[in-house]
Amino acid sequence: MAAALRAAKRLRLVVGVPGLDFTRSAFVAKKNIYDQPNWFGVGLAFSTTAALWALLFKQHNEDVMEYERRKAEREHKCTGCS
Amino acid sequence: MVFLPDESRSLPPPPLVNKCSVWLGLTGWLAALLDNGFNRRPVIRAGVHRQILFTTVGWFVGYYLLKRTEYIYAKLDRELFEYVRHHPEDFKIAEKKRIGEIFEEFHPVR
Repeated sequence: MAAALRAAKRLRLVVGVPGLDFTRSAFVAKKNIYDQPNWFGVGLAFSTTAALWALLFKQHNEDVMEYERRKAEREHKCTGCS
Repeated sequence: MVFLPDESRSLPPPPLVNKCSVWLGLTGWLAALLDNGFNRRPVIRAGVHRQILFTTVGWFVGYYLLKRTEYIYAKLDRELFEYVRHHPEDFKIAEKKRIGEIFEEFHPVR
């Protein structure tokens, strides 16, 4: 058993890749590229920002319209058609 | 439990620039700055897209939280005033005493 493990370890050192037969880790580390901006991440962040602001403005305008509508309805109901 | 019941739409909506949004936006920005600090990046100059995104998320959440807060307070006020209206005997305004009735008669000792 120990001999087999040693053999596998030596084989892995030669190959230089995390072996999938004895290790059960799901994570493989890769080097981050810090030379250029992560354009995908930047684009995603800015597009999410724009979408959130658009949603917020839309929601606020809808809220104002709905409030004004209900206020008019309430006044109409109280005073009636005079 | 609904986050914003339908009757909450009868309340005036908070302005887009409100204290809750500003505060949570600032906390979002602080979170981005902290993230820069923890990852050994220049604190304010790095990750501006991240700073803007976190601030926006805080602003967004703040708006909805404030709407729910105002709804809960309005509901509480409505129930409170309804109770006062239904129990006037418990909420009589105290009669105002004139100053002459409170103090004893004045006998100057000279």
